[in-house]
Amino acid sequence: MPWNRPLIIGLLMVLLALTWWRLQPEEKEIRRSRLMMGTVVEIMAGGLKTSKLETAVDAAFAEISRLDKLLSSYHLDSDVSRLSQSDGGGKVAAETAEVLALGLDVAQQSGGAFDMTLGRLKSLWHFDEEASSVPERGAIAAALLGVGPAALALDGLEVYKQTPDLEIDLGGIAKGYAVDRAIAVLKEHGITSAAVNAGGDMYLLGQRPKRPWRIGIQHPRQKETVLETVQVRDQAVVTSGDYERFFELDGIRYHHIFDPQTGFPARGCQSVTIIADSVALGDALATAVFVKGPEAGLQLLAGYPRAEGLIVAADGSLYSSPGWAAYRVAP
Amino acid sequence: MKTPWQVMTGGDWLIVICLLGISLSGIAWLATAPGGTRVVVTSGGQTVFSAPLDLPQSVDLDGPLGPTHLVIDDQGVRITDSPCRAKICISMGPARHTGDLLACVPNRILVRIDSPAGGEEPYDLLSR
Amino acid sequence: MTCSAVDPVKLTHARRQVFLAMFIAIAVTLHVLETLLPSPVPWLRLGLANIMTLAALYLYGGRAAWTVSLARVGVGALLLGRLFSPGFWLAAAGAIVATSAMIIVYRVAGRRLSPIGVSAIGAAGHALGQILAARLLVIQHAAIWQIFPLFLLFTIFSGILTGWLAAGLLEQLRQHPAFQPVADAEDSKAAEG
Repeated sequence: MPWNRPLIIGLLMVLLALTWWRLQPEEKEIRRSRLMMGTVVEIMAGGLKTSKLETAVDAAFAEISRLDKLLSSYHLDSDVSRLSQSDGGGKVAAETAEVLALGLDVAQQSGGAFDMTLGRLKSLWHFDEEASSVPERGAIAAALLGVGPAALALDGLEVYKQTPDLEIDLGGIAKGYAVDRAIAVLKEHGITSAAVNAGGDMYLLGQRPKRPWRIGIQHPRQKETVLETVQVRDQAVVTSGDYERFFELDGIRYHHIFDPQTGFPARGCQSVTIIADSVALGDALATAVFVKGPEAGLQLLAGYPRAEGLIVAADGSLYSSPGWAAYRVAP
Repeated sequence: MKTPWQVMTGGDWLIVICLLGISLSGIAWLATAPGGTRVVVTSGGQTVFSAPLDLPQSVDLDGPLGPTHLVIDDQGVRITDSPCRAKICISMGPARHTGDLLACVPNRILVRIDSPAGGEEPYDLLSR
Repeated sequence: MTCSAVDPVKLTHARRQVFLAMFIAIAVTLHVLETLLPSPVPWLRLGLANIMTLAALYLYGGRAAWTVSLARVGVGALLLGRLFSPGFWLAAAGAIVATSAMIIVYRVAGRRLSPIGVSAIGAAGHALGQILAARLLVIQHAAIWQIFPLFLLFTIFSGILTGWLAAGLLEQLRQHPAFQPVADAEDSKAAEG
């Protein structure tokens, strides 16, 4: 009967549409964590083929591991350890030079608030061991001798130390650099949606399969609370806080972000969050801003137009750079 | 004796078909529904333990330094004892939300909360 | 064969009590024997004892069905040493739900259903009752519902089996005068006499 045909055609079209919709390849997401660089490194990657995602993520972890061996003070034959042991400096790998170049730039811009030569100071405060104590003033003064942005000079792949017993510590920037390199490896594998998070220092590539990346910022004093939530794309988010590694003695909190001028933990802020184009830069800026305190920190950030920051001052009040609000989605 | 089909009436078939429908759709629904939130523990990249977050239990996880004790209860999952020196893992407190992580780095124990795809969290990652 | 001096109503009543007692005995036996058989999941049984509940329902009505099913659960538990154990409560819950369902369905549908359909409903009811009881008493966890669909699937088939066996049993029993309703007995007596 003729009047049935349109109905049948209509139903067939609906069926076809449904089948086509059902057959659409689904975006998958994998999430892998490993203990590396003394912290938890988590990589999320989204794409169509799980095997491709797994290969890329494994390669990214391998890159982080390689850089850890190069830049960590805990590895005895890393570039960093060699530089610290030698009297005059030495030749380093291209990656190390890259990190040092970036670090020196921030060190100079921040007037020494970010410093990569605090190796001796950090050993004094030994946070990794159980019985922590406040080092005595004399030891601290000795550890600060020769420290500062002028203490290191970089020429191509050659590093020069001004003082022989200067010890390099890239703790405030190495993790960030490793994350940046991991992201580069993921991109080389054709990944366009990923997140690499090394203990709170992270880079967000592209968007999540369904929507943009949303990052919560930990409240420095209330563990279960999120201070703010930001939405980012192709950017780094780095937070430095006085609550991550610390010990308390006689009611005073001693945390791991030192003021190179005093040799003691910086007292200006509770936490600093930076959004920047690279995690290495974000890492260095977060440390610098933390040390400088809210007002001077914001002034420093003004010199980096593509970086924005959120600062929780020591008294709990919030400061943010002018462009920060554009990223905020909550509250 | 008659075979079952000879005995069964139309009404019987109706009942059987309805019951089959209920049970089969139940099975299909369960097969596709996301599982509950789980606690996944890895050590050295290998998964060594996995359990639902909503079932209280406690377990010892072995690492190179010895056993790390994990407790799952209504507070979430937390580490209550570990052979490491600094015991940072214990001070991390309970993990409850998808994506939360606990770790005893010296003992190479990594605990994370996984949820099935579609967990609607307010944020994807926490910057701390 | 039957004594004409005895009141037929009293006779019927006496027969009913005796046969129900026998049904209960057979049901308990079937139940206990079943627990001796190997099974992949310990408490997953065919429920052959339900044949007797069905027989009671069809021959003597709803109250008789209650009698046989509840007594079977109780006596069975006594014999197996499980009285008032968690397993006992599960079985009791299953029996209660199953018997209620079977009686309702039987009354509502009557001739439109054979014992197979009623038995299928009964089996499903057993499953539902046991899962409900397990959820409340044994595993305070919503996850228990996850096994229900598979459990239900199994019980549909065991229900068909026991219903078929019950239908066969009923067919055999009904041929014997002892199981016929009073009016029929009177007729056959008249035919003999």
